Amino acid sequence: MAGREVKLPDIGEGVTEGEMVRWLVKVGDLVKADQTVAEVMTDKATVEVPTPVAGTVKELKVKEGDIIPIESTMLVLEVSGTAGSAATVTPAHAQSAHTPLSSAHRRETNNSETKVYPPTAGAHVLATPATRRLAREINVDVNVIAGTGPVGRVTRDDVIKTKTSSKSADAMGGAIVISTTSAGPTEKRVPLRGIRRKIAEQMQMTKRVVPHFTIMDEANVTALVRLRAESKEAAEKYGVKVTYLPFVMKALISSMKEFPMFNASVDDQAGEIVYKKYYNIGFAADTPNGLLVPVIKNADKKTILEISKEIIDLAKKARDGKISLEDMRGATITITNIGSVGGTYATPIINHPEVAIIGMYKLDMKPVYKEGAFVPTQVMNFTVTCDHRLIDGAVAANFLKAFLKRIENVGQLILEMT
Amino acid sequence: MATQNFDVCVIGSGPGGYVAAIRAAQFGKKVCVIEREQLGGVCLNVGCIPSKAMISAAHLMHRVKHDAPEMGFEIKSEIKLNMKKLVGWKQSVCDKMSGGVSQLLKGNQVTVIRGEANFKSATELEVKTKDITLIIAAKNFIIATGSRPIEIPGFKIDEKDVLSSTGALAMDELPKSTVVIGGGYIGLEIGSYLAKLGGQVTVLEATSTLLGGVIDRDCVQVVERKLKKNGVSVIFEAKAQGFAKLSDGYEVSYGRGDKKEKIKCDKILLMVGRRPNSDQTNLKNIGIKIDEKGFISVDAQRRTSISHIYAIGDIVGQPMLAHKASYEGVMVAEIIGGVNRAYDIKSVPAVVFTDPEIACVGLLEHECKEKGYSNLKIGKFPFAANGRAVSIIETDGFIKIIADANTNVILGVHMVGPEVSNLISEAALAIEMGARLEDIALTIHPHPTLGEVVMETAEAALGHAIHIIQKPLARASVEAAARTTH
Repeated sequence: MAGREVKLPDIGEGVTEGEMVRWLVKVGDLVKADQTVAEVMTDKATVEVPTPVAGTVKELKVKEGDIIPIESTMLVLEVSGTAGSAATVTPAHAQSAHTPLSSAHRRETNNSETKVYPPTAGAHVLATPATRRLAREINVDVNVIAGTGPVGRVTRDDVIKTKTSSKSADAMGGAIVISTTSAGPTEKRVPLRGIRRKIAEQMQMTKRVVPHFTIMDEANVTALVRLRAESKEAAEKYGVKVTYLPFVMKALISSMKEFPMFNASVDDQAGEIVYKKYYNIGFAADTPNGLLVPVIKNADKKTILEISKEIIDLAKKARDGKISLEDMRGATITITNIGSVGGTYATPIINHPEVAIIGMYKLDMKPVYKEGAFVPTQVMNFTVTCDHRLIDGAVAANFLKAFLKRIENVGQLILEMT
Repeated sequence: MATQNFDVCVIGSGPGGYVAAIRAAQFGKKVCVIEREQLGGVCLNVGCIPSKAMISAAHLMHRVKHDAPEMGFEIKSEIKLNMKKLVGWKQSVCDKMSGGVSQLLKGNQVTVIRGEANFKSATELEVKTKDITLIIAAKNFIIATGSRPIEIPGFKIDEKDVLSSTGALAMDELPKSTVVIGGGYIGLEIGSYLAKLGGQVTVLEATSTLLGGVIDRDCVQVVERKLKKNGVSVIFEAKAQGFAKLSDGYEVSYGRGDKKEKIKCDKILLMVGRRPNSDQTNLKNIGIKIDEKGFISVDAQRRTSISHIYAIGDIVGQPMLAHKASYEGVMVAEIIGGVNRAYDIKSVPAVVFTDPEIACVGLLEHECKEKGYSNLKIGKFPFAANGRAVSIIETDGFIKIIADANTNVILGVHMVGPEVSNLISEAALAIEMGARLEDIALTIHPHPTLGEVVMETAEAALGHAIHIIQKPLARASVEAAARTTH
């Protein structure tokens, strides 16, 4: 019998570390080869880590909640055979909790095809060895920096600025320092990691790239409330809870068919507008770890019931930290719904490279002046936030009008449903 | 079978391996080095260091013979060479250096295992020592097993009839006549010192250029002239075909075009290059990828196709130079220590200890053009115009600096002349720093030194060197030149 170390494998996609979410085995457990032993959350998704060899768990090297770098030892197995006690094994690949990550693989290296990040400096890059080293250490690619030094030399400052502008997140989460006064700690510093860091980066990038504007209006949802109430009853037979979200999705899809630029994205690199012929609707989900956006794929081809079911499943996975990368990929537009919490209006940030985000807010009863009298009316506020590079104000106004017409007039909504 | 466990196991203790081992130990790793011959590898024992010892000795003898009388020394008796003593002294130099490596490894708590290593699996190595066979298990391996001399048909290196550099450096008798096959840097270095010590040397070079055609042509020309002057004859386009043993030596036959020629000699040295030792250590069977040239395929972090096994030095490719191996050794040890590093350099300087020495770093003129620098500034400055060079009677040679004319950024520096092996580091730093001609020209270089030539060459490239006559510049253009520093 000999000890074998099982390491956190290279998950790919530039992931360098992960947070140990949960051990699925304990000391003394007998494990089979390829059995999942732990769940690790990276800044992209939660992955299941298998053990490549069978054995008895001898020691767990990390605790739940620990941040562990790729290639570090996670646990030690007692295996039979002649292998030396220091032998280590790295699982061939980790599996995403639900869909295997296509690019997750053991690092196969070869002269030409390897991905050392950041890449080495090209022949034309002017940067001192110390600057190049700094860039590598803080994960900045010197090849993409426009140097501000003489004849385009990349200076130390350029590298640091690139880091702080693209990942202000990292700069903030550098050191863990708790400053104290005589009264006790007044600040607590926590490293910006995992999903939080991803959100920070994504938001920062989107706000920098996309000129946002938001247009808002109130909709009379009396008919929709009735429709939903009736559907909800019917759906209970299937054990599914129907919310307003699938109806809003349907209204959105019909409106996007009328205004295709809302179901588009801007390919910044190619300088092209990409019009999409599929409708994948992302919906913002609040989770203990932060904002996640699961995606209902091909929502135009699914029934209200199917969408409702999927929303429930995905939201649960997101809350449990089990959602896979695949479940959050490929949205063509996003809906954010904070109505259940409150708030009249918000100006959300677009989920780049999408070009718009729809906000839906609290369902309310308001007096609406109609034909000489105030009538109690059920209303809901909606916002459309657009990428002004692609969508002009008037177009957005017309889009919102067309969208709200479907929200208010459920007859038209149902007419157009597929 | 006894198994020993390590964090890092380095195979080979040459300038790549031992450096990697020390750095890994500095990171607190438990490290072992496996060496089948002497600590320090080829470099310290049968390569760089002993050849430099011999070259220095031969050069000293040469200077006493030729330069001392010019300076006013009257040398009454003949200077006699005791080759046995010389080789003994050379060996003492190697032993000192190899002993130093041993001390350093010990001081860093690196375990040295002497024996022949073969991978049993990707995690275990079998090492046959003199007495027993050990199993070494390690988390990371660094393959630094280097290279060995190439043989050609008709010449098998047996260090008796046909000598490699190893055998040549150990000769304790000066051959009256030597045929050196190969006009690369090893052949020229060894051929030169044998000639300076008083032997007759003929170099058979298969191509029409010396030094593999990878050195600045102008630099090679200076060496070619000096070889002739020092009594080394070079026969170009001569393809050695075989040799016959005679009662008093050998007869080497070679083809030149259609003609077959023969040449007699006392010793045959075969120095046509080196090949990586990738056919050893059982690398192929554990699945390490090796390219068609025999080099281990690695990425910019020197990881092989098995991610916890790294490879450095001659075995991963050109340039096969000790200092490149050391750089990689430090780098890989740091990567294992958790630092993100990569082989991110602009250029590897190269030095050739011919007479005079050649040193270069960066791009050749035609390489600059190929990389898209169409507009170049090239400055050249001769050592003959440098006071220090004249005072040591070492005036052959020059320095050439090539810069991008648009930015004055230095792209390549090529040197031939006294001590240029020591001058090239400034140029290497300049290129790594992305320095411009002005950066060198405006740095005060102490007088009187050979280093001033570097500064003057930069000035020459800018068009206004002081100690050579350059085309008189109109006042306006001198001022413009002075203002190019933005």
